[in-house]
Amino acid sequence: MSFLAFFFIVASLLSFVVAQLILKRAMEVSATSGLRNSRFVSLVAIGVALMTVSFFLTLGLLQRFDLSYLYPFQGLSVIFITITAAAVLKEKLSVRLTIGALLISAGIVLVSLS
Amino acid sequence: MTDDTRNKKTQDRPSGFGNPWLQLGLSVVCVLVSEFLLKRGATDVAEPQSAFSWTGINGLASPLVWWAILLIVASFVSWLYVLRYIPLTVAFPLSRVVDILVPLGCWIFLGESISALRWCGIALVIIGLALVAKPVAEIEERL
Repeated sequence: MSFLAFFFIVASLLSFVVAQLILKRAMEVSATSGLRNSRFVSLVAIGVALMTVSFFLTLGLLQRFDLSYLYPFQGLSVIFITITAAAVLKEKLSVRLTIGALLISAGIVLVSLS
Repeated sequence: MTDDTRNKKTQDRPSGFGNPWLQLGLSVVCVLVSEFLLKRGATDVAEPQSAFSWTGINGLASPLVWWAILLIVASFVSWLYVLRYIPLTVAFPLSRVVDILVPLGCWIFLGESISALRWCGIALVIIGLALVAKPVAEIEERL
């Protein structure tokens, strides 16, 4: 894998993970203070912008690599999002959830390796 | 967020079409179909030689990509709705069920074969999904 490919895979993964965290935060804001407030709108706008970046980077990667090659990296997103949601959003992370997330990631990697 | 507020939120959740678990399912189906459309569309218009194509924007030349975008927008709306009711640590791992539905779809509908290693991977994902989904089922039962 070239450095360029690695860079774009990490960039698309990172923008995706951050977008999910921001969107979850936006929906928490909406639950307490409704949809018509500037905080909610700006959070959703940032989230959508990051999702868009991630989408186009993925589209660029799909032109060069097989879907099965790009899959393991999607598997990593499960681990990243579970950890960051617990750390940043203070969601409760049980041992069971952690093991579940690890198994899902390992399974996705196996599926794409075969 | 404390346990109390989270349980209260679960209690408040709507039923029927507004059920967040149904919406999570809809979101997954839309993503599943869009993955196939994107791969086909991206391959149709691929220009690996051009540096600009790293941005993926040339992919917009394919009509399949536009159909995929439509589905992604639909899945996005459902997903936002899901996030309102379900913690990200639960909803996101569950949404990755799509990663085994893609190979299973290829097996069932396209007659592609699945190797032993791939079956192992699919089994791991299912066990992981069960582990993540179990505590949720318990919360629902208590209510």
